[in-house]
Amino acid sequence: MKMSRNLLLLLLGTLSALAQEVDADLLKVKAKMDSVQSFEAGIIMDVDISFINMPTKEATISYQRGESVKFNSDDFILIPKRGFDFSLEEFFRHPFITVDRGIEMYQGKSYKYINIIPNSKKADYAIASLLIDTLNYRIVRSEIITKKEGAFTVNMKYDSDSAALPASMTVEFEVEEVKIPLNFMGRDTDIDRKQIRTEGKKTGQIYLQFQNYRVNNL
Amino acid sequence: MIISGSRLSKSFGHSIVLKEVNIECKAAEICGLLGVNGAGKTTLFKILLGLLTPDSGEIHCSSKGVKALGGIIEKPALYEYLSARENLKVFARIQGASSDKKDLDQYLENVGLETERKDAVRNYSTGMKQRLGIAIAMLNNPEVLILDEPFSGLDPMGIVQLRDLILDLAKNKGLAIIISSHIVEEIRLVSDRVYVINNGQIVKSGVTAEIIGQATLQHYLCAEHLKASTVLKEYQHTFLTETGALIEIGIEEMPRLMKRLAGEGIYLTSCTPRIDMYQLFRTAQ
Amino acid sequence: MIKALLWAEAYKLMKQSRTWYAIAAVFVLELIVLISAYYQGAAVIDILLNNLKESFYFEGDLLNGNLLIYLILNSLWFNFPLILMLVISGMITDEYKDGTLQTVMLQPVQKKWFILSKYIVATVFTVLMVLVLALSAFLFSYLIFGKSDLIVFIGKLNFFNAVEAETRLILAFLNGCISMIFFSLASLTFGVIFRDTLKTWIVSVLFLIVSNLLLKFDFKWELINKLFYAKLNDTWQYFFQYEIPWNIILRNNLLLVGYIVGFSAIGVVIFNKKDIG
Repeated sequence: MKMSRNLLLLLLGTLSALAQEVDADLLKVKAKMDSVQSFEAGIIMDVDISFINMPTKEATISYQRGESVKFNSDDFILIPKRGFDFSLEEFFRHPFITVDRGIEMYQGKSYKYINIIPNSKKADYAIASLLIDTLNYRIVRSEIITKKEGAFTVNMKYDSDSAALPASMTVEFEVEEVKIPLNFMGRDTDIDRKQIRTEGKKTGQIYLQFQNYRVNNL
Repeated sequence: MIISGSRLSKSFGHSIVLKEVNIECKAAEICGLLGVNGAGKTTLFKILLGLLTPDSGEIHCSSKGVKALGGIIEKPALYEYLSARENLKVFARIQGASSDKKDLDQYLENVGLETERKDAVRNYSTGMKQRLGIAIAMLNNPEVLILDEPFSGLDPMGIVQLRDLILDLAKNKGLAIIISSHIVEEIRLVSDRVYVINNGQIVKSGVTAEIIGQATLQHYLCAEHLKASTVLKEYQHTFLTETGALIEIGIEEMPRLMKRLAGEGIYLTSCTPRIDMYQLFRTAQ
Repeated sequence: MIKALLWAEAYKLMKQSRTWYAIAAVFVLELIVLISAYYQGAAVIDILLNNLKESFYFEGDLLNGNLLIYLILNSLWFNFPLILMLVISGMITDEYKDGTLQTVMLQPVQKKWFILSKYIVATVFTVLMVLVLALSAFLFSYLIFGKSDLIVFIGKLNFFNAVEAETRLILAFLNGCISMIFFSLASLTFGVIFRDTLKTWIVSVLFLIVSNLLLKFDFKWELINKLFYAKLNDTWQYFFQYEIPWNIILRNNLLLVGYIVGFSAIGVVIFNKKDIG
């Protein structure tokens, strides 16, 4: 009895928060993304992390609304933990408020800049910043500071004004340098040692190009 | 002479092993090299066979074949994990001799080895290994055979068989054979001429019977009623048994003594020459 | 004559049970390394990818045949030459011990051709052993664990796709062959010098251990680090740098071939000069 009352209060709270404080453009973006029932696409992936050498990879991505994105590849691929939340499910899972930061110029165009601040402790991110294309209702850049997985910045480019899904994407993230005992594997040279000794966070990027979209709209 | 070595000397460090040694052997002749252990026999043979380089001296061999000399040093060293035929095959091929099964079997038969045995030679007796060693030495038909202590480690039957083989090779196949031993009896039975080596020097050489005869200063005689002989009293003697006595008498006088004993009605049942080793290995005066 | 001598050396080597024991030992060793590599492999991947776990999900299996072959390569370059050295030094020390060298030298055979044929057969045997090792490593690993991307840590985390990894592993095996020939022929030279089987084994094993220690030792003078033989024995690892440094590989291999020729020449000259008796 007590539990259902709590759930009711939570639901009311969420609705009122959404009704009162969620940016209208963000809701439009979500609505546009929600119109995509599912899609499949091929992706070409390039990794740019200072301590990783990896050839260009190919994979397929498949998305089903309400589910997390699935990747498939014959090769080994690194999939960033953030950046593929096309329907903004991660934000809407817990109550949040949005703060309008005005207009910001990005790559020669002006976009609406908002912050998303979660109201619930359960949210796994601390704050998110989004640049919203208010003409086409889609996100061009998002920056999410997670509580446990570091910061991710996602830049998205679209082929056309009408496109809901990006043609290419860059995911920037922070990652800690690999620290491995000397000569754990492979050659042990002077240059290698110096590199191993460097510590601290590094920024890495993953470039994704989407091709051959097969989209199911509602 | 098919082979001759002249003024051969060899030292190992400060120890002089051979001093100005001369040795020679002709076709169809068996030359014995007699010496105690450590006298320098093996070193001399190794020099003759080209395994060691002499410090001085020369070797001359008139044989013009692919292989001038064949030999065994100390013991026949074989690939123990191979069979007799496989051993022959390896040694035949590396020196360009025929390695046909037929030819290899012939070599085995020549030394009296079974051609059907396929097991490794590690299972062979010493005598059989000696024969195989000789078969290997005989590959490519050398005109000279040098055998170092071939009788050591053989049982009496093996000794007889090997002796017959050596005699056959020299007398019927015309090989010059130089053979060493520290057993005087073996040298006496096979060799035409003998070289006696002591402390790295040839101390005596000549016809085997003569050289050994010169060193035979005693005979051990056995006969019924030997003690009753009056003739025997003319010689220095010692009775070792009731019917056996050691007589101080050289080989030349022995026939006369036997005749005189027969005149007394004493017939010898055995007469064994006793070779005086000190005499034999002593430098000739 | 050399052809017959080569045949004889190969024939003797193949007829000795010790050779087959050595081949069996290599397989047993390989199997053990393969099993331990499988377990080690999981830990290796875990350590290598530990920092990436925070930011990434991984798709695809890195614990596959290619990683296992790479780990086999790493583990075997000490054990494998050890077995090779024991077999190959025996090619000459056994002949001294059993006196067969004397029997051979009593035949019309030239010493230099005889010893050269041993060096040549030892080289061919080593190459064949590496090929057998490589083939079986590829066969077992791919058959049991499949083929996918290879992850290697050489200063950086290098990822190679399956085909590229296979090519690099093959090149590494071929290059490792030169190091193996070096150790094999060095043991033959030790056999010529020391003659006695046990002494030669001790010296060979010591040589291998010291070489492995020196490989990891940083000399003060860069020239030594570049030219010293011990530093050339892991050239195969260069095939796992993202950009293969062909010029360094070529230089190292030429130097190592020089060392091989040098060691062999010493053995041939000493054998030729020394009396057999």
